[in-house]
Amino acid sequence: MTRFIESTITFPYKRSLGPVVGAFMTALTEKQILGIRSGDAVLVPPMEWDPSTGAELAHEFVEVGPAGTVESWTWVTTPSEQHPLDHPFAFALVRLDGATTPLLHAVDAGTPGGVSEGMRVAPRWRGTRAGRIDDIICFVPGEVPETEGEDTGGAAEPVTRMDYLASITYRNPVPEAADRATEASREHRLLGLRCPACGRVYAGGRGLCPVDAIELGPECEVDLPHKGTITNFAIVTPVQYPGQTETEPFVRAFVLLDDTDVIIPYSAVIELPADQIRVGQRVDAVWASPAEETEEGGGMGGSWGSLLGWIPNGEPDLDDPDLVNRIF
Amino acid sequence: MSAPSTDIAVIGWAQSQMVRHTDKSETQLLMSAITDAITPLGLQRADIDFTCLGSCDYITGQAFSFVSNLDAIGAWPPKRDSHVEMDGAWALYEAWLRLQEGDIEIAVVTGSGRSSTGDPALIYPMEMDPYFLAPLGADPLTFAALQARAVIASGIADERRMAEVAVRARGTGNVESLLAEEFIRQPLRRHDVPPITDGAAAMVLATGDRARQLVERPAYITGFDHRTECHNPSFRALDDSPSTRIAAEAAGLAAAPVEVAELQAAFTHEELLLRSVLGLGDDVTVNASGGALKENPIMASGLCRVGYAADHIFGGGNRALAHSTSGPCLQQNLVCILEGRS
Repeated sequence: MTRFIESTITFPYKRSLGPVVGAFMTALTEKQILGIRSGDAVLVPPMEWDPSTGAELAHEFVEVGPAGTVESWTWVTTPSEQHPLDHPFAFALVRLDGATTPLLHAVDAGTPGGVSEGMRVAPRWRGTRAGRIDDIICFVPGEVPETEGEDTGGAAEPVTRMDYLASITYRNPVPEAADRATEASREHRLLGLRCPACGRVYAGGRGLCPVDAIELGPECEVDLPHKGTITNFAIVTPVQYPGQTETEPFVRAFVLLDDTDVIIPYSAVIELPADQIRVGQRVDAVWASPAEETEEGGGMGGSWGSLLGWIPNGEPDLDDPDLVNRIF
Repeated sequence: MSAPSTDIAVIGWAQSQMVRHTDKSETQLLMSAITDAITPLGLQRADIDFTCLGSCDYITGQAFSFVSNLDAIGAWPPKRDSHVEMDGAWALYEAWLRLQEGDIEIAVVTGSGRSSTGDPALIYPMEMDPYFLAPLGADPLTFAALQARAVIASGIADERRMAEVAVRARGTGNVESLLAEEFIRQPLRRHDVPPITDGAAAMVLATGDRARQLVERPAYITGFDHRTECHNPSFRALDDSPSTRIAAEAAGLAAAPVEVAELQAAFTHEELLLRSVLGLGDDVTVNASGGALKENPIMASGLCRVGYAADHIFGGGNRALAHSTSGPCLQQNLVCILEGRS
């Protein structure tokens, strides 16, 4: 049975709005809905360019609505976590009074029977508005706008930016070769896979030969030496982004294993400060002790499992000018 | 764009198993699809002069996921390679342009995706307009339902004809019982919407004499074009597809009749709309493969349409149309005309 792992990736976007969308969003905080004039038409939501010709539009805004007419609709029986309402509702194309084009939004109509083409709707505003399309919680039947909760008024400054948190959960299979490499690391073995076609050896649980494009099964496994030479390195000064756990500059080294053509990339180093690392330095593998073992393994993570990193072994440096070219 | 002076032909293609949920990585799917596409032609990976892969990082959940997909093409010694963040049908378009330079003879294009990795209903809204649509969670089913309502209102489709499309595509069920089902997004029922499919496809192209050496009956690409419309569906007439019409005109559809058409219609009403816009009569066999309603491997579904159209030519047919689409409510459309020669 293939093992699957689940991971959630979040992208906290900060979006610039520009002069047209920004004006629209700022107006929303004042409970006003703006369109933009394009010839005889009034486009809602406003665009910077005419959608049919691509011509830039003059910033001639027109207040529309607040009430409008449902032109088309569909019924959402099971709302998702991203939807504006947590109970069944209609997504509708609402043509606001004075607009030429319809706006997509939710209509809180109770049942599918409560929504129809031609019905009149008006916005239900959020009491506290940020300058986002969802300052309008939804539309409700009738001509009269509503405000939910205490009305804290419009924005003090023009709205120029919008936060959008994208968060996606993925479920991916773990290749068997990766699991076998991790298991071997628990016994402090560094597992490689030798391609039967070209003889190249791959480490890190990569279960295929990218040169010959064939899969490498357990019959291809070989044990790799625990000794090598630093070919190249980077000193990473961490930038604080969401999810970054490092705070101080740290080393990542590339290690060529003895008697092989295998590079262990982007490795942690131990007892080797950033100002003392050199190309050509000889190192030994360091494995997690049982006390350091976690479910995720020791230091390097992924299929490296219990491999913590590399420590200088005191042997004289190798003097080979080509070493520095080896990072793959 | 009409035919270039150099003959460029589809000479073979293959697809992985199409399943609801694969335990293979995208690279593994591609590895087998490419091998299965080139081996019957007597080709090896070293014979491929150019590759173009179509896939989507957003669906894979991995930045630069196409880089690991390169492992499937055997890119050593280094190869000419490209990638499109689109269906493999657009990778095919790029390869067709590249082969027109005349300095290379064989190209392989792929499309691959594992839709089951995440929940499409939650991922797709994030690809919509970031200001007005994504914050509402405006999902593909909603857009499809709104387009279906417009297509029904125009008389191009009705719920019964949509159910008939579903029965024909999947080869199961009957119209009466399907119409008795509840709506999942009115006016759409379960049978109107595509399955979630994991899979990959690979296609081999060759130029002129090389194509004729490798296969008896190449499927020559004689017209190829793609066009796009405004990104926000509320600015479009949803009962029409002008980009499809323009692409078909530019690809030369009107020059001669086609016997078959493979349309990337993931929803039943899309097939009826596309048939209408393309002016396909009852004498044209549409989506004999079952189309995207039967198997809908994201990022490969359009390339499979070209593959099935090519199969018609390989089997002795004269002229076939393949269509691919991208974006909500048929935003962007591609038309490829394939022909055989006696």
